Amino acid sequence: MKTTFRAIAAILVVASLVLITSCKRQQPSAGGGSGAGAGSGGGKGGGTGHKEQWVIGMSQCNLGEPWRVQMNEDIKKAAAEHPRIKLILKDAQNKSEAQQAQTKEFISQGVDLIIISPKEARPLTQPVADAIDKGIPVIVLDRKVEGDKYTCFIGADNVKIGREAGKHLVKLLGGKGNVVELKGLMTSTPGQERHNGFMEGLAGSELKIVFDADCQWLEPNASKEMNSALSRLEKIDAVYAHNDPSAHGAFLAAKQEGKGREKTIKFIGIDALPHEGVRYVKEGIMTATFQYPTGGKEAIDVAMKILKGEKVEKNITLGTMIYTAENVEKGGETIQ
Amino acid sequence: MKEGSAEKERNALAARVKSWTDRYRGVLALVAVVLLGCIFSPENYRSDWPLFLTLDTQLDVLFEYSEVGILATGMTLVILTGGIDLSVGSVLGMSATLFSLMVVAYGLPVAVALPAAVLAGAVAGCLCGGLIAKTKMQPFVATLAMMAAARGMAKLISGGIKVQPGAREWYAVQSGTPAFFETMTSALPGIPVQPVTLLFVFTLVFMWLVVKYTRFGRHLYAIGGSEEAARLSGIRIGLTKVAAYGLCGLFAGLAGVCNASRMTLGDPEAGSTYELDAIAAVVIGGTSLMGGRGNMLLTLLGTLIIGYINKILSLNAVPEHYRLLAKGAIIVAAVLIQQKRRD
Repeated sequence: MKTTFRAIAAILVVASLVLITSCKRQQPSAGGGSGAGAGSGGGKGGGTGHKEQWVIGMSQCNLGEPWRVQMNEDIKKAAAEHPRIKLILKDAQNKSEAQQAQTKEFISQGVDLIIISPKEARPLTQPVADAIDKGIPVIVLDRKVEGDKYTCFIGADNVKIGREAGKHLVKLLGGKGNVVELKGLMTSTPGQERHNGFMEGLAGSELKIVFDADCQWLEPNASKEMNSALSRLEKIDAVYAHNDPSAHGAFLAAKQEGKGREKTIKFIGIDALPHEGVRYVKEGIMTATFQYPTGGKEAIDVAMKILKGEKVEKNITLGTMIYTAENVEKGGETIQ
Repeated sequence: MKEGSAEKERNALAARVKSWTDRYRGVLALVAVVLLGCIFSPENYRSDWPLFLTLDTQLDVLFEYSEVGILATGMTLVILTGGIDLSVGSVLGMSATLFSLMVVAYGLPVAVALPAAVLAGAVAGCLCGGLIAKTKMQPFVATLAMMAAARGMAKLISGGIKVQPGAREWYAVQSGTPAFFETMTSALPGIPVQPVTLLFVFTLVFMWLVVKYTRFGRHLYAIGGSEEAARLSGIRIGLTKVAAYGLCGLFAGLAGVCNASRMTLGDPEAGSTYELDAIAAVVIGGTSLMGGRGNMLLTLLGTLIIGYINKILSLNAVPEHYRLLAKGAIIVAAVLIQQKRRD
């Protein structure tokens, strides 16, 4: 009994201490900071005059995906060119609740601008709207939020990229041939759009999809499915994979078959990350890869405009690039 | 002579300090974590005020960890009996999906949907408890099975998609957010606390009283201490176990409703790995995994310690790899400290 009451008393003391210190807004003393905000003296009394430093908070939904790691790299690289930008990167580990918390933290931290690449639209709509209400501009990257309470959305067009891949393949095969399609997760929008775009690109040609499978973006699945395709089909002219790792997996399957078919089949993929697709094209494994831009660089460009008080477009759709053996050394070719 | 008595006094004092620090180990750990938070707090860029020392941040810790806290409350009951419940995360997901389905898809009133979702959790828990009591199946195995089955049920009833307004054409709610979701997660008029947070605190305090002052509570300790002795003293072991697991499931159902409100949708994948956070909260608090020793207030401490540590790491934008390493180290440290006490 006595112990319990003492324990309760102790908890209450801790709680009240915390509350007192947090409610009582004394004059900030010199210490107390971890150094993260050191040198941000210009930010004091915000709003008046010209600030020396702009703080941008970036919430990434999942750094477990190479494409998103690349997005962060692009943002870091672009931000490094502006000495006035201080960048805070947070990774939500594929959890919407963590991303909600991070957005709130950025708001209470008083950052100047938030960049967010949401895991999913709905749970993040309200936090983003809260930031806008507090006067903090928000740039939404890749996946949207609901409604129109955000400053700028930057995203790529999967249908267009799929269509370009289709058109390229028609040209490459002279308008005729057998194609294997290794799809991404077909319950996801990018998977559906990369398929629909591709079919639009093939329209009017004599290219046939002779085999297709849902590989869920995963290389091992693509290898297995390609094995089935190889054993069932005599003639395969090309493989269209919804992402580069799947194209690579298909190539490996063809090579392991031991009939040298990996040399005659054309492998085409999407994403064009420097250390994946672009490298595969350089090494002659893939015929072509189409870039799915991360928008990282563009986000910083737009952020600078917003912070300088310039007007920006509400929705920005990014173009794509194609990398082939001919142009890969020159850094690819832009498709408008 | 004099020297001897002085030494004795010193020893007595040392023993008193030791017993005091032993008893309040959890509180001291929490104080240490809070101090760390004060030291390593980034500042607000506009006012230079340490971010950790704001009411918002403090309340966010409670709010963000209220679901894990509710799960940990139920988990404490099970762990006191010497068992474990791995299914709470999946049951949370099932309940969140079921609740959203009833409110969003079928347009049922919350007064129907809320009890139904909580009850579904309780049924899942009772099934586990029944299996463990009747067939003497190990708790780890029985609840592992429920972990898979409840997740399957969540995916089955949702059709594999997230249940949200407009997700299917036949849903009763096609746009907007049901008012209940917003009420649960917005601050109450007058006080800056969300109903979800209050629910967690209320649940924990209520169960603390139950464990402390009812026969049911004493039976939990007795079973955890020695099942054989408890049986010989006439305690109905099966019934008590079913009640413990049933309550654990019930709270998982309640946490599911909180989760649906916070996400404003029913995600069949919600709550995966939450069971580990709940177990960690109980263990870090100091309740013994062997059963029979511990209490609810320790679980509150454990939840707060985990919540604060995560908040501090998040505020400082510490990359995930360091966070996982820190989490592992903290769990090991907490358990080592507990073992020392037993010696």
